[in-house]
Amino acid sequence: MTISKGGPPPIEVRGLRKVFRQTASGQAVVAIDRLDLTIAPREVVAIVGQTGCGKSTFFDLAIGLEAPTEGSILIGDKSPHGDFDYFRGHIATVFQQDRLLPWRSALDNAKLPLELIGLPENEQRRRALTWLNRLGLSQFTNAFPHELSGGMRQRVAIARAFAVEPDILLADEAFGHLDEVTAAELRETFLALARECGSTAILITHQLEEAIAVGDRIVVFGKSAKLLADIHVAQWPNEKYGVLREAIQATLHANSRDPRLAQA
Amino acid sequence: MSHEEHREHVPAPVPVPDLIFPRRTLVSLLVFAACWETLSHLAPYLGIPPFAIPSFVRIAKSLADITPVDVAVTLARVIAALIASFVLGVALAMAMYRSEALDSYLHPMVRILMAVPVVSWILFAVLWFPGVEFRIGFVLVVVCGPVFLVDSLDAMRGVPRELRHMMQSFRPTTLQYFVKLMLPAIVPSIFTSWKVNISLAIRVVTIAELVGAVTGIGHQLSVAQELFSVSDVFAWTLVLVVLLFLLEAVVARVEKRLLRWRA
Repeated sequence: MTISKGGPPPIEVRGLRKVFRQTASGQAVVAIDRLDLTIAPREVVAIVGQTGCGKSTFFDLAIGLEAPTEGSILIGDKSPHGDFDYFRGHIATVFQQDRLLPWRSALDNAKLPLELIGLPENEQRRRALTWLNRLGLSQFTNAFPHELSGGMRQRVAIARAFAVEPDILLADEAFGHLDEVTAAELRETFLALARECGSTAILITHQLEEAIAVGDRIVVFGKSAKLLADIHVAQWPNEKYGVLREAIQATLHANSRDPRLAQA
Repeated sequence: MSHEEHREHVPAPVPVPDLIFPRRTLVSLLVFAACWETLSHLAPYLGIPPFAIPSFVRIAKSLADITPVDVAVTLARVIAALIASFVLGVALAMAMYRSEALDSYLHPMVRILMAVPVVSWILFAVLWFPGVEFRIGFVLVVVCGPVFLVDSLDAMRGVPRELRHMMQSFRPTTLQYFVKLMLPAIVPSIFTSWKVNISLAIRVVTIAELVGAVTGIGHQLSVAQELFSVSDVFAWTLVLVVLLFLLEAVVARVEKRLLRWRA
């Protein structure tokens, strides 16, 4: 479901800041610090960084479950948090764990977002079946999650995300817990489907190889909560991917050894 | 998709019924029955009044005299009150889950309600309400409702954060959030509450019917007590126990059907 006929709108992040207050100590923790970022329509952006650098906070801000402390994140001219209901059926998510509802079959799990947008039952069923078939699950539509392998459950989760044909797709470490072969296979499928749907895709990952394999752009987050690099992968020829990976690794290492972080 | 990725659809292992348990149960029941029957015959020689320990023949006669209408009335009272308690309890739990303020106001009240003895509720009901049916219904709901409420609220708070987060990311309305996530997620806990409350309701309804009711098993027990008929008390108690087992069996069957998704 596209918001406008011209496809998904751009994502504009301006001066984005997110501060959490720790429950026990009351101490403020800066998770995102004055982030500026523009993501073009249909772009596939991989966000990489070490644990605790604010990737998942950015994910929550982008899907609208958290409000920025300062600054803004806009999709088109709407805020995913402030205009929460406006984006129903336009933003879809895939998480690290499949997060399938255990009491629903694969088909019913894939139907879930379609039920939320109020499509007629037969249309829900048709669309969910289409996406499950495309993800190779036509024989398992009536299986409950506990009857499926981890890879199959993640396929159902991907079918659930694509079922609404969203403008914006966000994946948080979606392939991180799978074995390499299954992860590579699913990553490829995910990317192909995202391009086919014309969705803007944001993939949060801590794996550089995955970021390079998937992203049109790689955005590198560093500790604490700052933008270290914004790389357009197309500008790097394939044979230089090794150099690119090393350059990103060096940037992350330098950031983690920053004496100011040690003091913090 | 690789073959390794597929997990074969092996049907869940059917639990083998433990044959030892029923046999032992049967033996213990037979031993109890034999002791009872012997005592009933020895009673006159032991200085016990003959009516105190009636023989099984006498109890069988009392069972034959059971009036189905009283059983039906008690059953109807229990089922109606449990349904009302369930609806009220779960609805209030949803409201308290949604509103922290409401929770902080209602929580102490619920704790107080749960601490009040059943006998006190029966006395309050007799003093406050003129209608017998309303009195019994009130006592049952005020005793069983909080159990549904507390169990449902705890279960809602125990729904994994990951599932709540996933659901919210798809932007449900408040109603959808409860209907699609919260209520199905707390079904296992709701069944536990039903099992606890069926047993509670059967016991409470009997006491409530003892006071002022002119129908129902409790009333019949009261009549039996006035007539010094231990065999009638025994027969009506047996009916109550069977009723409890039947209701539990119905709930267990529905539970098995609804929770077939569990591994």
